[in-house]
Amino acid sequence: MASVPDDLKYTAEHEWVRADNNGSTVRIGITDFAQQSLGDVVYVSLPAIGSALTQGDAFGEVESTKSVSDLYAPVSGTVTARNEDLDEHPEAINADPYGAGWIVEIELSEPDQIEELLDPDAYGPMSG
Amino acid sequence: MTDLRRSPMHDRHVALGAKLADFGGWEMPIEYAASGGGVLREHATVREIVGLFDVSHLGKVTVSGPDARGFLNRCLSNDLARIGPGRAQYTLCCTDQGGVVDDLITYLLGDDQLFLVPNAANTAEVVRRLREAAPSGVSVVDQHEDYGVLAVQGPRSADVLHRVGLPAELPYMAFVDATVQGRPVRVCRTGYTGEHGYELIPTWRDSPAVWDALAAVVEEVGGRPAGLGARDTLRTEMGYPLHGQDLSPTISPVQARAGWAVGWTKDRFWGREALLREREAGARRLLWGLESLDRGIPRPHMAVQDSAGAPVGEVTSGTFSPTRKRGIGLALLDPVVGEGDELSLDVRGRPSAVRVVKPPFVESHVR
Repeated sequence: MASVPDDLKYTAEHEWVRADNNGSTVRIGITDFAQQSLGDVVYVSLPAIGSALTQGDAFGEVESTKSVSDLYAPVSGTVTARNEDLDEHPEAINADPYGAGWIVEIELSEPDQIEELLDPDAYGPMSG
Repeated sequence: MTDLRRSPMHDRHVALGAKLADFGGWEMPIEYAASGGGVLREHATVREIVGLFDVSHLGKVTVSGPDARGFLNRCLSNDLARIGPGRAQYTLCCTDQGGVVDDLITYLLGDDQLFLVPNAANTAEVVRRLREAAPSGVSVVDQHEDYGVLAVQGPRSADVLHRVGLPAELPYMAFVDATVQGRPVRVCRTGYTGEHGYELIPTWRDSPAVWDALAAVVEEVGGRPAGLGARDTLRTEMGYPLHGQDLSPTISPVQARAGWAVGWTKDRFWGREALLREREAGARRLLWGLESLDRGIPRPHMAVQDSAGAPVGEVTSGTFSPTRKRGIGLALLDPVVGEGDELSLDVRGRPSAVRVVKPPFVESHVR
């Protein structure tokens, strides 16, 4: 069974969003279910720091031995950090999708969007 | 989705946490992710130790009757005069236009009996064509669900066969009938990985017991079950063509550089005239290897351009090479392209640099 941590928000595109304390910046990644479906990740293409993202738009790609999946921005905002370690160790997404396998951090331009994301209870049934 | 056929090892795959997918109408394991495998680990295990594959979706066909060998030699591309009984041969079933209906292995038992292993999805069509052409007295029997096929591939494969009591000292492409635990098994020194390996053909009914015996010993020596995902990355590293991608009814053996599997001096085989004409005129495109020079990964149908941006062909197979840690692929390219040329792939709208190379991408250890 894919794990769905209680303290995160989710999208139907199998991404997770972790809000920090003041809620202005979020960290995002792909869910355990997503990494299991993809198989071994061999390359992640990330947006540059400072890139403006629009909720729902593709902003990067996760590539496995067999397939390529787009990453969709779960919220609108500006990229403030990218997980540079993924360049050398893309397998972190498989090993630790909610921790070392995080993808980017986004400073929210529309903080209310957080409330529209899926709760673990709503996402859980989509990840089985 | 139509009903998928299942291998006799289906329950084993499910118990091993396999991710299953449709391969030519069969529900087969891509990888054993939940059991700690995954394509990269399974691939490395085959290159370094040994992997056990279930490839029971492959077809099995017996052609028998007076001079069945002569009959097949007038149909299939390769020359059966090049081998003797107890040897297998890679061959092609071509259309009259020189396209490829299927690539397959012929096992020569004797002049009156041969055994074919075509691809799963093409078996019915190969059988149909052979039956239509067969003289009276020669029968073509589709035995798809009479036998399983298990592949033991990797540097420790001979050790695995020894440990289960099967003969392992066979030259490349030779086969012999033997038994394991009293169950008859055809042992063939064949494979699709580039490693020293065997393909074992037990009866359909005996296959799960033979799988269990092999799986126990494979684990003992540090190997693991491997899925069809790893089989694809392994064969791509060797530059072996996959029917439906690198060979097809519209991709001839002359284009795919499979001319070595054509008996050019034979006076009859399907597609002979068209293929001789194409060989004489020169192929309009040729299959080459591509090796990525950046982080791009070639994928089937990606367009290939030269440095001036002119189209020169299309990728037919591509993946991330687990051994080389870079993108590799096969592509059909214009004859003006040569080894060492640097070309550009269209990776979803972005250019990615590749170099034209001669496969294999990884040294072969089959012999």
